[in-house]
Formats: sequence, C-alpha cells, structure tokens
Amino acid sequence: MNENTAGKKALSLVLLVLGVVLLALALWMDFTKTYIVIDMGVKVALRGLFLVLGALLILAGMYFFPTVMHHRTIINILFLFPLLFTFAVTVIIPMCVGIFYSFTDWNGVAYSKVVGFENYSAMFKDPAFMWSLLITVLFVIVNMVMVNLVAFLLALLCTTKLKGVGFFRAAYFLPNLIGGIVLGYIWQFIFSNVLTSIMNSPHSALASTNTAFIAIIVVYIWQYAGYIMLIYINGLATVPKDVLEAAQIDGADAMKTLFQIKIPMIAATFTICTFLTLTSAFKQFDVNLALTNGVGTVRGFMGQRLSNGTQMIALNIYNTAFARDQFGYAQAKAILFFIILACVSLVQVRISNKREVEM
Amino acid sequence: MKKLLALLLALVMVVALAACGVTTENAAAPAASSSEEKTEAAPAAGGITLFNGKIEIADALNHAAEVYEAATGKHVEVNSVGGGVDLQSELKQRYQAGNMPDIFTCEGTPDFSNWTDNEMLVVDLSDQPWVSDTEAEFVYEPTGAVIGFPYTTEAIGLAYNKSILDAAGIDPASITGPESMKAAFEKIDGMKDELGITAVIGWCANAKELYWSTGNHMFCNYLDAGLARNDSTYFDLMMDEGKLDLDRFTPFAEMVGMFNQYSDPALLVSGNYDLQVSGFASGKYAFVTQGSWIGASLTGQYKELYDAAGNFECGMIPYAFIEGIDTILTNPPSHWAVYKNGNVAEAEEFLNWLAGPDGQQIMVQEAGLNSPFKSCTVVANDPFAPTVADFTARGKTSSWHFLEQPANMAEDYTGAIFQDYAMGTINTEEFIQDMVDTIPTAVGK
Repeated sequence: MNENTAGKKALSLVLLVLGVVLLALALWMDFTKTYIVIDMGVKVALRGLFLVLGALLILAGMYFFPTVMHHRTIINILFLFPLLFTFAVTVIIPMCVGIFYSFTDWNGVAYSKVVGFENYSAMFKDPAFMWSLLITVLFVIVNMVMVNLVAFLLALLCTTKLKGVGFFRAAYFLPNLIGGIVLGYIWQFIFSNVLTSIMNSPHSALASTNTAFIAIIVVYIWQYAGYIMLIYINGLATVPKDVLEAAQIDGADAMKTLFQIKIPMIAATFTICTFLTLTSAFKQFDVNLALTNGVGTVRGFMGQRLSNGTQMIALNIYNTAFARDQFGYAQAKAILFFIILACVSLVQVRISNKREVEM
Repeated sequence: MKKLLALLLALVMVVALAACGVTTENAAAPAASSSEEKTEAAPAAGGITLFNGKIEIADALNHAAEVYEAATGKHVEVNSVGGGVDLQSELKQRYQAGNMPDIFTCEGTPDFSNWTDNEMLVVDLSDQPWVSDTEAEFVYEPTGAVIGFPYTTEAIGLAYNKSILDAAGIDPASITGPESMKAAFEKIDGMKDELGITAVIGWCANAKELYWSTGNHMFCNYLDAGLARNDSTYFDLMMDEGKLDLDRFTPFAEMVGMFNQYSDPALLVSGNYDLQVSGFASGKYAFVTQGSWIGASLTGQYKELYDAAGNFECGMIPYAFIEGIDTILTNPPSHWAVYKNGNVAEAEEFLNWLAGPDGQQIMVQEAGLNSPFKSCTVVANDPFAPTVADFTARGKTSSWHFLEQPANMAEDYTGAIFQDYAMGTINTEEFIQDMVDTIPTAVGK
C-alpha cells in the first residue's frame, strides 16, 4: 500500500514536471514567434499541441497525486473553467491592466515610465477635472429628483382611466428609443435654430454655461423619464386591489391612498428607479457630447478661467484620453470614477432596502 | 464509477478544447506547409491600406487606387474617414488591434509624436525621389528624417466673393490694412439690400462646432500672417514664454471684433460649418473666414447653390490687421506617414507614383488639391486655385504653425474665448486679457 502511494507520487511528479516543461516551451515559442508546424495528415502547429498537452499532463499529475480527497475539487474547477476563463478575460484581466496603466504615462500606443501616484495627485489639482466632478454631482442630484418626480407623475397619469392612455405611454417612452447622439443633435437644432427664432434671442441657450447646463438637464429628463415611468407603471400595477379597496372602505381619499398605501407599497420600485437614474446620470456622455461637447466658460474657479463649463466627468475622461493623448491620466480618472460609482450605488441600495415594506 | 465518468467527461471537454486550439493554429499559419518551417508573422500578402483623413477626396483617391492597380497590378485599399472623427484615436485603436494601415494621416507634430516618441513606428522617407521635388514634407526634428509625405497644400486667407466686391465697387487689392478693411466693410454693409446679401462676412465663433476655425485658423494669423516662411517669432514667444505680443495682438483682436460686428447674427454664435460655407456658396456673404478647402465644397457638395449664385469668382486677401500684412498662409494640413511594420516597399512605391505625373493628374484635377510638388504642371479646376497660385508665385505666403501648438489648445482653451467675445459677454480689452491669462496654461508655461 505504502509502495503504491510512493509510486503514484513519483508518477504524478513526473507528469507535473513534463507538463510544466511543455507549457514553458509553448510560451517560449509564442514569445519568440517560432511557429513549428508538422504535417500528420492534418497540419498541426507544435505550439498549440504543446500547450494543450502540457495542460493535460499537469491536470493528470494533480489527479494522481496521492490521497483522493482533492479529486472532487479538481473536477469542480474543470467544470467551472469555461466560466472562470471568460470572466477573467472579459472582466478581471482588463480591470487589472487598467489599474496598472493608471500608474503609467501611457499615451495610447506605449508607455515610457511608471509614474506612481502622480496621475492621482494631478487630478485633484486640475481645476477642469474638479469642475467636471462638481457639475456631475450637481447633475446627478438634480436629475435623480427631477426624473423620478416627472416619471412618477407621468406614471400616475398613465394609470388613470384617461382616454388613449396606451398612446400616451408609448409617446412618453419613445424618446428613450432614440439614441443619445441623434437626440443631442435634434435638440441642438431646437435650441440653436428653433428656440432662438421663437424667443428672438441672438444666441442659443447652449452658448452660455448656465443655460447650457439647464438644457442638458431638460434633454436628459425628456429622454429618460419615459423609461422610468414604465417601471413605475409596472410597480403601481402590482399594488394589490384588496388593499386599495380596504382603504377606500375606510374612507381614505385619493391623496391619502397615494401617500399611505401606494408609495409605501412600491418602495422597491423607488429603489430600482433611483438606482437606475443615479448610475445613468453619473455616466451621462452621449447627450453631453452631441449637445455642447462640454463647451462653456467658467470664470474664477480655483483661480482659473475654464472652458469646459458643461463637461461631465465621463466626457472629461474621454477627452483626456482621446483628445489629449493622456491615456494613463484618463485611466486614473476612470478608476476614481469607478470607485465613486461603486460606493454611491452600494450606499444607495443599502438605504433604500430598509424602507421596503414586507408583505 | 461515478467518479470515473466525471473524469472521462472532463477529459472529453479538455480534448475538445484542444481540438479547437489545433484548428485555429492551423488556420493562423497558412503559409507554412512543409514540416519544421520557421516563419515570421507574415504581413497580409500583397496590397496596402491607405488611411485617409480627408473625406472630401475619398472618391478621387479610390479612382487613383484603381488606376494604380490597372497600371501596376498592385492593390491599394483606401479607407476614408472624416467629419469630426478623431483620426489619432481611431489609429490607436487600430494599432492596439494589430490592424494598422500601411499609410496613415498625421496632422503636425503632436500627431506624429504618437508614433515617434516612445518608439519609431514610422519609416524614414528621406531617400525617396519626391523629397527633392517639394518643400512641404514633414521633417522629424531630432534626426532631420523626412517622415511625412505632403499630398496637398492649403491656404488660409480672408476669402471673398468677387462678384459682390465688383458690384460694390471695391478692389480687393486695395484692402491692405485695418482702415481700408473697415472702410470696405462699412461700404458693403451700407449696400446690403442693394447687393442682396445677408451680411458682410460669414464668420462663426461657435466654440463647439468651429473651435478649430477660430482657435486654430483665425488665431494663427496673429502668429504667422505677414512673416517670412521660416519666421516663427510669435509662435516661439507663445510656446517658450507663454506670452502674446500685445502690439500685434491688439489690432488682431480689433479685427476679430469687427468680424463679430459685421457677421450674420444667426451664424455668429449658434451656426455651424455647413451653414457658413453654404451661405457663402449661395452668395449671402461677401467674405468668409474659411480657407481654400471650401473650394472643393463649392464645386461639390454645394454645387447647386453655387450654380444658382452664378458660379462667382473667388479670391483671397491677407488678414491685414496691421497695415502692410500682405501674405496668406499656406501649408499642408496633414501628411501621410508610412507604418514601419507594414508593407513598406509597396507603400513607398505607391507614394512615388502619386507624386509623379499620373498621380498628380488625379490628385489635382479630381481631388481639387493644390500640388505641393514643383514638377507638377497640372492646374486644379478649383475656385481658389488661381489666387493661391498667384500668391505662391509672388512669394507672398507665410507658413502656419498651429499644428505644432499643443493638441486641443483651441478646443479646450481659446475657442471658448472667441465665442464669449462673439456673444458680447466680454469686450475687446477683456478678450485680450483672457487670452493673455489663458495662453500660459494652454501651452503649459
């Protein structure tokens, strides 16, 4: 029995070593671009063959390693492998590479040196970026309130027994089906050509920072309220009829029913909707790009004159990377953006969950 | 038994994966057929790709590629992009994807530095025959190597509609300084109804749409107008010390202020390029602040408007914001570089053919480009070609330097100041002050 274990151990070790050697060989071929192809009826490239054989040998080696306790684990991992592999390739590896690049002076083609936390410290001294951060937060707060308010009112309207409710639902939802860029250009035309001639003003609202910022908010609400409205309609439809009936019998008026019954009953819907508007408003990009491209004058912010008065953070990151060629710096900003977004979302979900009514 | 089955299944899966691996390997190495053959990662066999950033000349380039293929049997694939596409970011994406074109467009030093700074990724073209035939090639300063092929030159000047000036009785040659320019503007402004025009000048300072027109093209007149071709005094002053020469900048600012005053209010802040050029094409403006490149649009995109306006003659005068400025600015707007790891031999061969008589025939006549090559005798059928040729022949051209200023200086800094000035939220003194305050940040001084 003992001898058997020893034999198995030796065998597994040989297999493991052989596997590692083959893998290393395959990697070496890949790095040096030595493509050796052998013809065995079908043409087989040795690099791939080595890679696969190496992996198989290592697996076999691990499998034969004494005590059978770990067999199940190996098999579990094998079955999970496709999923883990996909997850690593699409999420984990890019994320790690991204974090790495944020510590370099990468210009989109190559990087020449690792700069440590320079990118991170630079962004807090950059008035343009701080301004973007500030107005993005402002934009998010205003929109979270306005979009939900407008959407909820629309939802209430569209759940009454009005004539043509189906039409209104579709009409309010329609803007959401138009892509942001197209929508931005449509509204640019409205602000620059239509509104200027109706109101007889010499300049479009998009030309000065304050009005342009309001313009972006209006367009965003116009685009997004219909979508959120649909979710509220869905939520309102799930309020049980018996509860409403009971309230009616007890003599609750419409207002009371709304505030005491309907709103608490659809607290979960509020969670979803605030979460959706919060994250999507943070990530606002396409309407911003098409409507103003961030242009707008701001005077005396952190002692500087800024030209990016309406530039949200996502657009700021994009421009830093693609227009100014500072990919490393942009990557650092993106990491900060990611952290903010993750924190805000977590906190928001946690708070909202507490309010939900158990049925 | 169960375990055995599980093991078997796992093995089957791994083998299946392996099979996939082998077949892809097989497909990826089609060139190697005999046993034990060592090959480099082979470039796509035969043919080259040209990445053209000037969508206006796409048709002509495609035709040139066809003619070239008929003559030599070598294929040239032309990829044209334009209209607000950021060329360099597109190129970087292609580079990351390992899909670089063999010839690609670069505008000025900041663009080229993407491909030269960390690693020299473009080919030294100094030994090419066309180099001695032109003065417009792009030279990599540190080594003096020629790395950019000039495919056209363009001119920046104050473009005018000759028939309107004739009708108003103004000789463009008489506009030689700020006073004469002001007098001409006033005269035309007083005759607007008579001449049937909307405004004296089509000048648009929309910072979102035309920051490049204001912050680059207009601003570079302050930097370069009236100077000798190798004179970069004001550009150096700006780049090295972050300073503007107020003796020169103040009259420039006053000229811009006059443009603000006499431009079409509907165009000035809320307009766009399309509105500006189509307005000029249809004879609404006596002057327009765009360069020679709009010639191709007049005879192409806006042909109907231009025909309806009587195919008027066009010309250019210098932006004479100081008495005595007598040059327009001419330079190649961008160059073509050859990618080092691409099909270099065929790319060089194609560029040589393009610089020769057959290539120039198409580039000048069909694409409407001004040839940068001395040996070229073909004259473009372009509304602005005669005036550009005239200034060139008289030696009254300056070179422009805005391509060497920091990328995005116009978009991020100066464009918005021009817009504020046009809107009237700041006056001339504040415009000058804002520029003086902003330039050091913009150039990093």
